[in-house]
Amino acid sequence: MFKTSNGEEIFVIDGHIAMWDGSPENQLNRHGEEFISCFYDYHKNLSPKEYLWDYEKFRKYTPEDLVKDVIVDGYVDMAIFQPVFLTEFYKKPFGDIEVNAQLVKKHPERFISNGSFDPRDGERGLVYLEYLKETHNIQGIKLYTADWRGASKGYKLTDDWSQRYLEKCLELGIKNIHVHKGPTITPLNRDAFDVADIDQAASLNPDLNFIVEHCGLPRLEDFCWIATQEKNVYAGLSVVMPFIHSRPRYFAEIMSELLYWLDEDRIIFGSDYGIWEPKWLIEKFMAFEFPDDIKQETGTDLTLSIKKKILGENIARLYGIDIEKQKSLLWNNKKASIKV
Amino acid sequence: MNNQEAVFEKLNLVYDPELDKSVLEMKFIEEVDIHQDTVTVVMRLPTFWCSPNFAFIMAEDIRNRVMELPWVSKVLLNLKDHCSSEEINKGVSEGKSFEEVFSNLANGDLNEVRKTFQIKSFKSRQEHLLRELINFGVDKELLNLTIKDLNSHLAIRDKTVLLRYLTLRSELGFSNHPNDLAFLKHTGERIDPLKLSEHLLEARRTRLSMDFNANHCLGLLETRYQTQISEEEKENKYESCSTTCVQHAIAF
Repeated sequence: MFKTSNGEEIFVIDGHIAMWDGSPENQLNRHGEEFISCFYDYHKNLSPKEYLWDYEKFRKYTPEDLVKDVIVDGYVDMAIFQPVFLTEFYKKPFGDIEVNAQLVKKHPERFISNGSFDPRDGERGLVYLEYLKETHNIQGIKLYTADWRGASKGYKLTDDWSQRYLEKCLELGIKNIHVHKGPTITPLNRDAFDVADIDQAASLNPDLNFIVEHCGLPRLEDFCWIATQEKNVYAGLSVVMPFIHSRPRYFAEIMSELLYWLDEDRIIFGSDYGIWEPKWLIEKFMAFEFPDDIKQETGTDLTLSIKKKILGENIARLYGIDIEKQKSLLWNNKKASIKV
Repeated sequence: MNNQEAVFEKLNLVYDPELDKSVLEMKFIEEVDIHQDTVTVVMRLPTFWCSPNFAFIMAEDIRNRVMELPWVSKVLLNLKDHCSSEEINKGVSEGKSFEEVFSNLANGDLNEVRKTFQIKSFKSRQEHLLRELINFGVDKELLNLTIKDLNSHLAIRDKTVLLRYLTLRSELGFSNHPNDLAFLKHTGERIDPLKLSEHLLEARRTRLSMDFNANHCLGLLETRYQTQISEEEKENKYESCSTTCVQHAIAF
């Protein structure tokens, strides 16, 4: 819960958190170290000084750290795990759904655990999806289209197998598809610079929601075009959020573009914890106002009611969360309060 | 101009296609070594995973630009700390194409990628000029300005931006005759004065993406290689692609 200066209480859902293990013990090869060290560079580059972690904690933090940083200190009422497996780089999955499940079991009213799939797994991956639904009752999936698999350096949502997996998701009632479309990494030219595969996937699967994490940056204009046409496409703000500290003007420009093109009901907050802590992101976001020239040029504004939608109401709709019910459960019920 | 300066002048013509900033502005060049007719360029990028296709485009452009110098007969590229260092260094130094180097992973050639980003850069550079003119108070005559008008216009304080815009115009196949209209769509059509604000908004979005990413990449590079720069310098760098910046790059 975040309390504004005039006492209004805001319900917060963090749409993008992770519990990962990037420690040397879990690294399979040098890419494991390179990957986590690249994440750490993001962390160092965009965090305020007082929120910098040492590398050891960053590579492997504990469930207790997570609960403290996200729920106790971070204003977050509920949070959604978006696991990334990276099995070519790590012995156990980098983001392990079985580890997340333990936290969900301990605090079922606080955490939601999403799964992941890789269409290159073929038939056996479809069986795994059924397992994820049955065992973990997942409502969402995180996809990392640039994950390596042998000689393959990635896949697209337009691949035949991807479509079969998406159909399977619908059949199982897994409706929220979070797709990483962020700063450029491998694979090569076939996928490196566009979010275009979202377009076709969203058209072919109108009953699924596609949450584009990181808004397709740096291809924001491509993303905006797609999201304008496809009403089941959402903007996930992870990685966009921390620019509020280091580049506030760019942050304002991007938010104004999203509000202009997507409308205020399709923008979703995510901290990307453990890269950044929700505490400072939410404090800065609540205090943030658009510069006048940006308001004038795009005719958009970041009002309190829009902030409330972005911080919780929008994603609550996608995950069928009844905010009023959760408020009385989490805010008034002593049993649900978390102590560390 | 000595040989070292000549090489840097060429390197300043090589752009990161995705950011529309030169490899010098982005601090991607770590070192240049010259031994008689052989030039070795040491290059670094913000992350280990930066897209190999963009890395390849830059590496190839570096080789081709430096080879334009009459005294150079060989360019050796050394891209360090990258997931495709080995393939790119060997391929570019041997003059191979992207498809030859990554035959198992790539489909389609890089020219399409280049073209996509040339158009984005064109829009972004054009928007920069249009805004300078509008801020200066140019109004009705804006879309009737010719190349000649631009060359002598008081609103265009920084000639580097203009030069970059004109270079890209000719690369996209437009003529730069003094009497040609200065501002057209990338398709060659005239910009409808009634739709100018829409045109500017769209271009702004393109420029925004590129600027945002340039900031992000430069920040990551600083973190990775501790290439600290002052706040003042940062301002200059992003307010305009200024000549100061070019001079600074040549001097380091």
